[in-house]
Amino acid sequence: MQDRLRILEDLNMLYIRQMALSLEDTELQRKLDHEIRMREGACKLLAACSQREQALEATKSLLVCNSRILSYMGELQRRKEAQVLGKTGRRPSDSGPPAERSPCRGRVCISDIRIPLMWKDTEYFKNKGDLHRWAVFLLLQLGEQIQDTEMVLVDRTLTDISFQNNVLFSEAGPDFELRLELYGACVEEEGALAGAPKRLATKLSSSLGRSSGKRVRASLDSAGSSGSSPILLPTPAVGGPRYHLLAHTTLTLAAVQNGFRTHDLTLAGHEESPAWLPLYGSVCCRLAAQPFCMTQPTAGGTLRVQQAGELQNGARVHGVLKGTNLFCYRKPEDADTGEEPLFTIAINKETRVRAGELEQAAGRPFTLSISNRYGDDEVTHTLQAESREALHNWMEALWQLFFDMSQWKHCCDEVMKIESPTPRKPPQALAKQGSLYHEMAIEPLDDIAAVTDILAQREGPRLETPPPWLAMFTDQPALPNPCSPASVAPASAWTHPLPWGRPRTFSLDAVPPDHPLGASRSVAPLPSQRSSRSRGLYNKGPLRTWLQSPV
Amino acid sequence: IGEPVPPQRVEIHKLRQGENLILGFSIGGGIDQDPSQNPFSEDKTDKGIYVTRVSEGGPAEIAGLQIGDKIMQVNGWDMTMVTHDQARKRLTKRSEEVVRLLVTRQSLQKAVQQSMLS
Repeated sequence: MQDRLRILEDLNMLYIRQMALSLEDTELQRKLDHEIRMREGACKLLAACSQREQALEATKSLLVCNSRILSYMGELQRRKEAQVLGKTGRRPSDSGPPAERSPCRGRVCISDIRIPLMWKDTEYFKNKGDLHRWAVFLLLQLGEQIQDTEMVLVDRTLTDISFQNNVLFSEAGPDFELRLELYGACVEEEGALAGAPKRLATKLSSSLGRSSGKRVRASLDSAGSSGSSPILLPTPAVGGPRYHLLAHTTLTLAAVQNGFRTHDLTLAGHEESPAWLPLYGSVCCRLAAQPFCMTQPTAGGTLRVQQAGELQNGARVHGVLKGTNLFCYRKPEDADTGEEPLFTIAINKETRVRAGELEQAAGRPFTLSISNRYGDDEVTHTLQAESREALHNWMEALWQLFFDMSQWKHCCDEVMKIESPTPRKPPQALAKQGSLYHEMAIEPLDDIAAVTDILAQREGPRLETPPPWLAMFTDQPALPNPCSPASVAPASAWTHPLPWGRPRTFSLDAVPPDHPLGASRSVAPLPSQRSSRSRGLYNKGPLRTWLQSPV
Repeated sequence: IGEPVPPQRVEIHKLRQGENLILGFSIGGGIDQDPSQNPFSEDKTDKGIYVTRVSEGGPAEIAGLQIGDKIMQVNGWDMTMVTHDQARKRLTKRSEEVVRLLVTRQSLQKAVQQSMLS
């Protein structure tokens, strides 16, 4: 049965590939191919996994690949439709009025995501019994782009789920809808309550085989749009840990702010559902947007500029329209070399632009005037372009800018800083004997890249707090506290943020410090021998500390 | 040995020192620390948060906090099962000018013995 399911899925992948080929859309084709190969790697890995945490990572990769494939499929179908329609009928817009103005695109970046948890008192004081752990990650979709955060392990000692990486969408319109979904799975094996037949039935109904085409079609319809169905497909035919949708929300332009903001989360499921986590119901993050009109020059050329009230003829400058400013340089090269402009004319929501001549007496052609109000004064500049065509280009650029400002709204007040996301932790070679890496035969050679990505392992065992009850059974030393000036830090260099972060006790309104891992107290690097050690719940570190801190 | 002392409520008003709000004492302990090195605890597996030092004339001393006190709660937040860093953070929230602690203290005699040993 398992084999049959797998064959059906392979057939589906073939079908998808063929569709992409027939469309001759090389970029989408390439992306689809990449995802399909990643998916194959993830399936292989999942089948070969022996440890739960590896299986969790592999399942996550698999699920993300599946959703991306669906999303691209949806896009392919749309383009195919458009192609077909284009070939047949004559588009009415061809002979009609010019196309409506469309706003410029922009970059949207979400960072410093923090989801508060709310442990009940009874849970908190429980010090007998297992330390229940969850693996969670966020899936974010904007348009057809799907991105995921790193997987984070959560337990009772954490007050928030924090994701270190920021997620960047490179092309978004001002009407974007960023859908956020939080998925969780139990780290400990779920009970064997689901008997084999039940599990099989679930697999059958959720496989990607053509027989469940209805479901696939339904997903395709909603792929790319923020429909009510979750982005993630249900468990694939390949066995593995189950991720459950815990919460979701959709963020739009209104949520964008050059600072941290708290948004509501819609919680899915309830206390009885598997992998349920006590979420407070909010998500705190920084959602920034950088429209291209603010960061890229939209027009440039020679101008003769005269400020109203001046007697001279006006200066000859090289003007560059960028963001909400018209920079006037002495010569064109200055704009590139970073020289200061001679002067700058502001262009914002309040600015008024008029074509034509202001003063009747002056017979200068190809002019436009820009007026700004500063308090009670009104300052007007008259710009003279070199030709009618040049004037038209300037006017066009200015109208486009005004339109963009009306669409992107507060994102055009000032440029919001966006940091490029740090590259994810590179895969670490598993030092264990007989590790997965050695066991698998990987071919063809270029698949190694795909599989190595998936093999990106978190650094060894859980290095944070051992469960409290453990102390009663052993006299094992506690882990060294990574944050105190009194402790002696091991010498190894620290280049990446800790994958699971340290528990933070932020209140809901507190602003996380700028540094991804907390302000003044830097994290001491971990001794290198830890990464390859046992999967025990804690490590026999070389340091036994009992730190003291002033408050 | 001496009678056990019931839990004490201590209200500390933080003192502004430049940019910081300080309480004037130091803490030790935490679930990520080695409890056997705690000189103040009776039970050497106790991973709670203890007061290891009280600054002379500081807000904590004025409020009646004593060296060797075990901090059970801070403004309602439990401190018996927290990491060292979590404990420190709960005490040093910038938004709070007053912290109300619930502490337990060993008998007077024991406390004197402990502080002489440390």
